[in-house]
This record gives sequence, C-alpha cells and structure tokens, in this order.
Amino acid sequence: MIKARGKLGLHLFFKSRFWVIFLLGSFLLGVRWTKGAGYLDFYSILLKPILPGTAQKEWIQEGENTEQIIRLKLLEDDNVRLRKALALQEFNNDQRISAAVISRSSRSWWQQLEINKGSKDGILKGQTVIGPGGLIGLIDSTTPLTARVRLLTDPGHQVGAWINRSKHHGILIGMGTNRPKLIFLNKNNLAQVGDTVTTSPASTLLPPNLIIGVIQFVDKKALPAPYAIVQLTASPEAIDWVQVLKKNDYK
Amino acid sequence: MTINKKKLLIFFNFVCLPALIISSPDWLKINGIAPCWPVVWLLPFSLKNSPWKAALAATLLGIFTDSFTISDASHIPSLLILSLVWSQYGLRNKKIELFLNIGLMAFLGTFFVGFSFWVQKIILYSDLRNSWFHSWSIYALMSEVVITGLVTPVFSSWLLLSYKKN
Repeated sequence: MIKARGKLGLHLFFKSRFWVIFLLGSFLLGVRWTKGAGYLDFYSILLKPILPGTAQKEWIQEGENTEQIIRLKLLEDDNVRLRKALALQEFNNDQRISAAVISRSSRSWWQQLEINKGSKDGILKGQTVIGPGGLIGLIDSTTPLTARVRLLTDPGHQVGAWINRSKHHGILIGMGTNRPKLIFLNKNNLAQVGDTVTTSPASTLLPPNLIIGVIQFVDKKALPAPYAIVQLTASPEAIDWVQVLKKNDYK
Repeated sequence: MTINKKKLLIFFNFVCLPALIISSPDWLKINGIAPCWPVVWLLPFSLKNSPWKAALAATLLGIFTDSFTISDASHIPSLLILSLVWSQYGLRNKKIELFLNIGLMAFLGTFFVGFSFWVQKIILYSDLRNSWFHSWSIYALMSEVVITGLVTPVFSSWLLLSYKKN
C-alpha cells in the first residue's frame, strides 16, 4: 500500500506538470541567489565585439589632441598679440617656405644640407631652418634655386640659446655630433639635466621659442665657464623636408 | 678610339665628378660619409703628369670642391702637397697593375686631407681647442679613409689607364 502511494505521488508530480514549476522556481531562486551572474556574464559575452575598445580610446585621444591643438593655436595667437604689444620679433606660419633636402652631408667634415629653394623663393643668408623636432640650422649661402644649410651640429657653429626653466642664456656650439655644447654666460647657472633648450624669446637674430633640444649632461665646475651637453630634438640625417622661416624684417 | 676615350675622360672629369660631389649618393657612403672624391680624381692625374701640372690641377680642384662646402677649412693646402708627392712618385718603372697600391695611396692621401681639415678646424674655432680629442673627427676621418680606399681602386685605376692611353 505504501509502495503504491509513493508511485502514485511521483506519477501525479510529473502528470500535473508540477516539475516545471519546481524547475522554474529553482532557476529563479538560483538567479536571485547569484544576483543574476549568469545573465550578466552572458550579456557581457554578447557585447564583447561592440564594447568600447581601442577604437574608442583613439577617439578620445583624437578629441584630446584636437582640444590641445585648438588651445595651442589660441595661445600662439595670444603670444603673437603680446609680442606685438612688446614690439618683440615674431614669426608666423605665412612666413615659412617648405623645401626638400636634395643633398645631405650631416656627419662629414662639413655638416650641411642642400635644399631646393633659393634666393628666387625669397631665401636669404642667416634665415632659420626648422624640421620635425625643432631648429636644425641656419642658411649659410644661397643660389637662385638652392640654398645651403649649416647645421647646428657643424663643428664651431654658434647660436644663442635659452634655458626655458631657469631663464638663462647660453651659446650653443656645434661639436660634430648630435650633442652640441651649451656654454653658459655666467657661472651661477641653474641648468639641470632634462631642461628644455630653446631660442631666446628676446632674440633679434633667431625666431623666438623654437625648440632646440634637451640637456643631457651638466658640468658646473668646468672652466672658464660651466657647460652642458644638449641632445637635439631634430635629427638632420633623417629629415627630407625642412621649413625656412622668413624674418619679418624681410616682409 | 682615342677620341672616344677622351670623351669618356671629359665626361668623367666634368660631369660625373661634380655630380658625385654634389649628390653625394647614400649607396656610396660608410656611416653617412662619402669618399673623398678630389683624392680619387687627383691621384691618377698626379701620377701621370708633371709636378707643375699636378699642382695646378690640385689648386683648381681644391677651389672647385671648396665651393660645395661651408667656407671654413679648405681642400687646397692638402691637395697641393699630395699632388706634388704623387707626381714625384710618378709611374717611373712601375706597373699600372698595382691595383692595391693605388688603393693604399688613396687611403694615405685621404688620411692626410682629413687630418688637414681637423687641424684647420681646430685653428679656426677656438671652442674646439678645449678638448683636443674629438670623437667626430676620428669618426669622419676613419670612415672617409676606408670608403675612399675601397672606391679608389675601381675609379682611379680606370682613370689612370685612360690617361696612359691618351
């Protein structure tokens, strides 16, 4: 009798579809107990291909770059306006001449470049030449169609330089390598390794605030004047295009 | 045949040489340094000709090559001395087949030319006198000497043969 009742109970359980309710209830309790972990994991797997990944990162970076470019442009405009107010030398983008390097001798006895623009294009001796990375040299001589650039690295080549952080002047002298020597004009220099070297903001010969390089080594005890070794940010041996900056005096 | 050879000589001396000096092709460089082309040209000419002719050629060649560089150190003094030495050495009782001999002469000649630049630069720029040893000069000197020594046996021996046949 007891056996028959047991069989009858199971029979009723399956027959009445109560097992469906039981399973559903158990499943829901499981979901509740795991706080929907299975659902969430499945959802994340489904979303994986369209999740914000590297592309989104690039968009954000691009947005940041655009913002920085706009800020830089605004600051440059502001700077030009202030320099005008102070009657200091200035240069602008309209006064740049792009030129290709047609011959290169950046490691020999004479460290120079020949470019494909000359006096016919308005290039004159002493004008500043920049490339990707900053200042690379000055125009040494011109022909009607070409110009010769004397690189900053040329042994003995001297230009005035400015340490942005300490606001000190110095003379940058080419030593034949990509690391020219910066001789300080006073003994109490406050230059440190890592300082940025630029053209002087008050220079009358070179355009202001052009990046030259970064200080790599400082010898404060050197005689007769302390000096620093500067790593140039531009590398002339790899540059195929340069820009010549016209001075405003020649407008 | 002789006319053709002369044309070739004229072509090499007045077209190829200036073109090589100006264009300074990268495939003919070691460590970014080109051969000393005046030495390549002057060596066979001096070996074949009298000291006066060689000295004149050296001066003219020096003026020509100096016009393609920043005007400080000059080629003229070293080329002048080399032309006199080489023309004195000459080709008397020596065989033209001394292929490596020409390379060695160019090797030593380029060393002399490079060393003269080094000295001139030190004299001209007081800042370079602070330290007498300059890594850039050793680098430029050795690279130029090696590449000229390699290039000269090809170019100069051919030029010397052409001079002899004319």
